[in-house]
Amino acid sequence: MPDPDDPFREARERCPIHLGDFQGETIPMILRHKDVRKAAKDWKTYSSDAPRRVPIPSEEDVRTVRQYPLEVDPPVHSEYRKLVEPFFLRPKLPEFQAKLDALQNRLIDEALQQDRIEILREFAIPLQSHALTYLLNVDEKEAETWIGWGVHVFKEGDGSSKGAFMEQYCRSMFEQAEQSPGEDFFSALNQAEFQGRKLSMEEKLGYANIAFAGGRDTIIYTAVRIIAYFADNPKALACIREHPEMINTAAEEFFRMYIPLTHIGRVCPHDTDVHGHTVQAGGRVSLAWSSANRDAEVFEDPNTVKLDRKPNPHVAFGFGIHNCLGAHHARAIMRGLILKLSERVERIEVLEREDHIEKAADYARKIGYEKLVTRWHPATKSY
Amino acid sequence: MPKVTFITRDGKEVVVPDGCGTLMEIGREHEIEGIEGDCGGVCSCSTCHVYVSPEWMERVGPPEDMEDDTLDFNEQRKANSRLGCQVELTDALDGLVVEVAPAED
Repeated sequence: MPDPDDPFREARERCPIHLGDFQGETIPMILRHKDVRKAAKDWKTYSSDAPRRVPIPSEEDVRTVRQYPLEVDPPVHSEYRKLVEPFFLRPKLPEFQAKLDALQNRLIDEALQQDRIEILREFAIPLQSHALTYLLNVDEKEAETWIGWGVHVFKEGDGSSKGAFMEQYCRSMFEQAEQSPGEDFFSALNQAEFQGRKLSMEEKLGYANIAFAGGRDTIIYTAVRIIAYFADNPKALACIREHPEMINTAAEEFFRMYIPLTHIGRVCPHDTDVHGHTVQAGGRVSLAWSSANRDAEVFEDPNTVKLDRKPNPHVAFGFGIHNCLGAHHARAIMRGLILKLSERVERIEVLEREDHIEKAADYARKIGYEKLVTRWHPATKSY
Repeated sequence: MPKVTFITRDGKEVVVPDGCGTLMEIGREHEIEGIEGDCGGVCSCSTCHVYVSPEWMERVGPPEDMEDDTLDFNEQRKANSRLGCQVELTDALDGLVVEVAPAED
């Protein structure tokens, strides 16, 4: 059985691509670090101008809108991206950091007070949902609605009806913001101009769609895996407590190791030779970030967490023009989480755990936990 | 501690009289536009790209392999490119002058 944390290892060592089967569609997965970065930069050969088909499996059944700016190419890509960039830079603001600090302290207080806590539902989803209200600058009470959407908007339960519900929710948020505009994400998009015109509702829904779906399971699973790591490696908490300067490198190492997004797709506008396999025009390839992050040609001892790994040129946030807009947000959350756990928690006991495995026709990859029930023990003194 | 001069994207000079740490760290401390250091200095994001003044290239030295690979993907790369996070400041670099590279398209 291949290691569920690195199911592509043998394939990657043998060949630059793996021909994956996704609902009957053969998609070459580009596996090696250098090749993935090269393909990610080459948007003319590997295009993102493919509404609802950039994710693999495609999301044609679960959403009606193109996601902006993910599913467009240059030259319009940068114009679309600039419209929302100020929101995604908010994690650099002191007031954002202060709110995030308070949120993380509150969640850690609750975890320490309980006899047992299921991390996914009682810690990570609330963390992600509340933090997103700070990013989008909306009323924090909206988080309660989003918490009900679960780990993944599309992949959990009935994806198509949940997707439709989310689109309807976003539509109503844009309409409300039209009636009473504020400084929030929805109002900003209502007022935004693209090439001298207002955005259409379809475009606005496309921005909102990725804001809600894109950074959701990724942040939730990464937080859960970091907590599981510290539960399994209690000395690491003490190590970070003694060496807080390691927080940034530790966060980057967790992003590398635990990237929940196995891969993302691109479409070849023309017949393309992909490392010996011909993709017909209109066909897709996969950029396998998760495989690239374990490439032994780049990362020494790639399946070991090294909290002080540096350099660490991982591609957990993608690479090139489409690099993750939410990276600042993810980094702020995980760095804060690591710092606070190290300061406030002595050790974490795992009482129950159940892996969440992404199953494709020819691989199974661990991307997080279905369930992680724990008991937390406070640090004996505050640091 | 070494003195470092950044030439900003709009052509101004910002002098850091007592640089300590890496070029990226002091660039961030002094809020120099274009020195973001998003990844915290692990050579992953390329948001601390600078051009080292030619007369300083020999003392600063060339990039190591991983940095070199990352720079290779940057359209703004020149022969004197370095990632600021990989340049540790020492007394030997007292007087160093670097120019902040333009953002990638």
